[in-house]
Amino acid sequence: MDPFSAWIEATRISTVMRDTTWLWPACESIHFIGLALLIGGAGYFDLRLLGFMRRVPVAAAKAFMPWAITGFAMNLVTGTLFFVMAPHMYVLSAAWWAKVFFIVVAGMNAMFFETTLGTRVMLLGPNEDTPTSFKIVGAVSLFSWFAVLFFGRMLPYIGTGN
Amino acid sequence: MTPFLHTLQSSAFSAWVVGSDTIWAYPMILTMHTVGLSIVVGAAVIVDLRLLGVGPSIPLEEVKRVFPIFWLGFFINLVSGVMLFVSEAEDKATQPVFLIKLLLIAIGVVVTARIRRRLFGGGSPPMRAASSGRTLALTSLVVWGGAIVAGRLMAYLK
Repeated sequence: MDPFSAWIEATRISTVMRDTTWLWPACESIHFIGLALLIGGAGYFDLRLLGFMRRVPVAAAKAFMPWAITGFAMNLVTGTLFFVMAPHMYVLSAAWWAKVFFIVVAGMNAMFFETTLGTRVMLLGPNEDTPTSFKIVGAVSLFSWFAVLFFGRMLPYIGTGN
Repeated sequence: MTPFLHTLQSSAFSAWVVGSDTIWAYPMILTMHTVGLSIVVGAAVIVDLRLLGVGPSIPLEEVKRVFPIFWLGFFINLVSGVMLFVSEAEDKATQPVFLIKLLLIAIGVVVTARIRRRLFGGGSPPMRAASSGRTLALTSLVVWGGAIVAGRLMAYLK
């Protein structure tokens, strides 16, 4: 095991959490509810950015984003707990690094949208198609979040090095 | 029933799903099941939250577009779920938490169908989020959340 993982696993907090046997399944349950909130809320907005459901104003389709962010926060917290409980499962896993990569891509994509294109959302009327730039942002977001889910679920099976 | 379950579980297909080394068998089916979960529950959550008053500027008529997405996810999970069940039929058929999950899914489907009928059944414009709609929406959120938890706990409560 790498020294970093060995150090975390030897900490008191990691040991106590691992000994709390119900904690892992409880965190997994929350993690899966969080992913449904995230994919639901972000996916709905992404579909509108892609040009679907045009009678929904783009700005209105954003209404579920706080719920998507709540889901992401739930998963960030539970994900961090998984990491503290069993760091070696993650740091040596190619799937985990791919997952982290796509979280960063999705996050940067969302930040790019908010800082550059986001203000144009308000100018878009109902029934209007979205510009190509919006469609690209929506496609990148949708693809990235499903990639995050894919590599997360595949984590025990690919690139574990054992 | 038991000989039938045994036949399923001892089939060549089941041996491939749980026994082969490829990630295209059990891991991929499991991952598809999680993709489907996110679509089913994600779509249900959108409908439920709209009924509970989130996104009031989204026309209620447009909520109709979310139901085909719900059914797409449901289809993915029906297919992947049957594959997962068949491969471990004897073990799963008697697992209490699996039966609870199936019950919750059945309730979830009935509630979701009822929400759709209530919104779009009459040919008249969809109801404004009346209190009965709120009750259905809350029930849906609790039931789908419960189905997720039951599904996850299948790995722990044998």
